[in-house]
Amino acid sequence: MSKESDLSRRELLKTTIRGIGLLGFGGTGGYLVGRESQSETRWQIDADKCIQCGRCATDCVLEVSAVKCVHTHGMCGYCKLCTAYFEPEPVNLDEGAENQLCPTGAIARKFIEEPYYEYNILRDLCVGCGKCVKGCNMFGNGSMYLQVNHDLCINCNMCAIAVTCPAQAFRQLPASSPYKLRGKGEGGK
Amino acid sequence: MTESPNNPPDADSAEPDAAANRRSLLRAALIGGGVVGMGGLAGFAGKRLFLTEREARPKPPLGPEFTYDVSRFQQTDPAMVKFTEEKRFATGMERPRALALGADGSICVGDGSGLRRFSAAGEMLEEMPLALPVYSVAARPGGGWFVGHAGGIRVLDAAGTEAGWWAQPEGKFVPTSIAVTGAAIYVADAGGRVVVKLDPKGKKIAVIGARDLDRNLRGFVVPSPYFCVRMAPDGLLRIANPGEHQIEAFTTDGDLEIAWGRGSFAVEGFCGCCNPVSFEVFPDGSFVTCEKGLPRVKLYDAHGGFSGLVAGPEAFPEYLKAANAGTPEVLNVGIYAAIDAQGRVIVLDSVGATVRIMRRKEAAP
Repeated sequence: MSKESDLSRRELLKTTIRGIGLLGFGGTGGYLVGRESQSETRWQIDADKCIQCGRCATDCVLEVSAVKCVHTHGMCGYCKLCTAYFEPEPVNLDEGAENQLCPTGAIARKFIEEPYYEYNILRDLCVGCGKCVKGCNMFGNGSMYLQVNHDLCINCNMCAIAVTCPAQAFRQLPASSPYKLRGKGEGGK
Repeated sequence: MTESPNNPPDADSAEPDAAANRRSLLRAALIGGGVVGMGGLAGFAGKRLFLTEREARPKPPLGPEFTYDVSRFQQTDPAMVKFTEEKRFATGMERPRALALGADGSICVGDGSGLRRFSAAGEMLEEMPLALPVYSVAARPGGGWFVGHAGGIRVLDAAGTEAGWWAQPEGKFVPTSIAVTGAAIYVADAGGRVVVKLDPKGKKIAVIGARDLDRNLRGFVVPSPYFCVRMAPDGLLRIANPGEHQIEAFTTDGDLEIAWGRGSFAVEGFCGCCNPVSFEVFPDGSFVTCEKGLPRVKLYDAHGGFSGLVAGPEAFPEYLKAANAGTPEVLNVGIYAAIDAQGRVIVLDSVGATVRIMRRKEAAP
């Protein structure tokens, strides 16, 4: 009786371990399949629909939004008076904080040659509010616009910003080409 | 029955045991498969539904410092407005961006698909479909039109049929404005950032305004396809330098004489990064200028002194609505002006796709 009982306990233990192993094996397989199937698409902003409402800055699940301003330098006019960089009526056309439009100081201005200046987005400071984009769209040629940065985005199944975007500017692009850059069409980076 | 090498099972009892083993194996396999399947399903669902589904932690709304606000510049003092709208008509065109008056006073408007000619009463007189988008148009001496397309100038005769194509294969030729005199045709090329001087047969005879610091020419700063040239009554060309917010006077040989204008969102200056987008010169040498971003049509005397408005931003509600909403419709749209023989200002609004005929207030009946 004692031997039989020992045997059945061992069998039970063995069976349980096997079962857990199988379950784990299946779970891992399912997780990988799930991850693979989800990685087929990525959320992205269609800059031609974006209205710079500010929700990209507030509605992302990340503490600091994965949406950032990007700048297509090939389109930029390298203007001395950039309406994405300067307050509408700046005191001076220089880099003084009082003259800058961006509340987080996320645009760097660099002199190239008279009268041209280069503007670069400081990604770590950009919160994706779109204020500069509005200035660029209204007065310039739209070389600055918002994009989801996919090294930051965790690719939520239902993007929290896409849900609230009033312009329905979010769309899913193939994971292999997840950016929609102006001047390059879809898939550029 | 206990098996042992010394006591092998006989053949009769082995068969039911084998069958029982097979059944047991099958059952185990089925259970194992089910368990793996359930695990897989759970893993898949976990990844798909839960692991990347996060609730956004509520963040405070953005403060006013995150709002782009130019509303204080979108209203003008009514006392500054010197013109009144006499007539307005819809062109029925898509984002029209070229405007010229014919010798008969007819109004020619161009868009992405061709030209339409209207009477001053707004009646469409003629439609001329063209294969290429129209960037600019100017009346041709003796009748017909010069039409600016990317890559060349199309010559249309008085009947609207093609009388020539002046290809400009060098660089990226974007002719955004054409000025015609008896001796030459001056084309503002926004792609090359120069004014190209052509003879009446279309042969290039000079390039005006290329950067040459030895001649005190800083070059034209043209961030977007808005670049305007006109001939003034004093015999000097007037060429907009939109990135510098100036109108510059050049001799027909390309020497820079004088310049005026400054950047400012205030009504006296040119707003944004690339204004004025177009202008026209009155017979007395004074100017009417057009701006985008803040849609304004303004008046300056012959020396560049601000003297009032033809129309302020509030006169362009469709434009302001699109601009304030942040929609990309405000990209690549402008305001254009022409002056007719009666001194009226003809204004083309790209966003509203309308033509307005503006008359001086003191001359209003």
